[in-house]
Amino acid sequence: MNFSYKEKSLITSLVVTLLIFGRYFFGVFSNVTATPSEQFDFSDVIRVIILIAILEGIIKWFFSKKDEADLVDERDKLIDTKSYRNSYWTLCIGAWFILMQLLFEASGIWSISDHLSLQHLIFSSPTYIAHLLLLFFVLSEVIHFSTQLFYYRKGV
Amino acid sequence: MSQQTLATKVGVTRQTIIAIEKDKYSPSLEVAFKISNVFEVPLEEVFSYD
Repeated sequence: MNFSYKEKSLITSLVVTLLIFGRYFFGVFSNVTATPSEQFDFSDVIRVIILIAILEGIIKWFFSKKDEADLVDERDKLIDTKSYRNSYWTLCIGAWFILMQLLFEASGIWSISDHLSLQHLIFSSPTYIAHLLLLFFVLSEVIHFSTQLFYYRKGV
Repeated sequence: MSQQTLATKVGVTRQTIIAIEKDKYSPSLEVAFKISNVFEVPLEEVFSYD
């Protein structure tokens, strides 16, 4: 199965993002009942993002052919447009989900913690809300990469 | 003519030419006309709609 430079680049980005952010979010959300001092420091996010950027740059430089990477033609732009549409909707759904939950919790009409019987739930802490929002950002990026890969392999 | 040569003359990537040949991508009119101009044949001889 031959992959073009663009496809290799996408696979690299996807794998690196999933591995690093997967590990990061596993640590964050498995620590739901931790006290604020035990929770992940949000500055870890900055380190994770920098690490991802460096790793992706190194891997892409190692596997790339410079001339193949330069040109972005109409097919690339079309695939980019379609994938940004999908990632936009993912982010929108995530943002609305968090917004609605915050509104419901603030109004006292309905609380997810009452229904799931969890003492310290994800939405009770601003840090976890921030992590949840970050999760949806990462999810939208994963959708962005995956959609591009799908269209590059299947055709558009 | 190689795929890369055609791609360079038309102004697209080699992968786009491959995708067109494999029927995985329908080029724009501009690219379609450029391809037919490279081969110096009418558009209908290069592309057809089934």
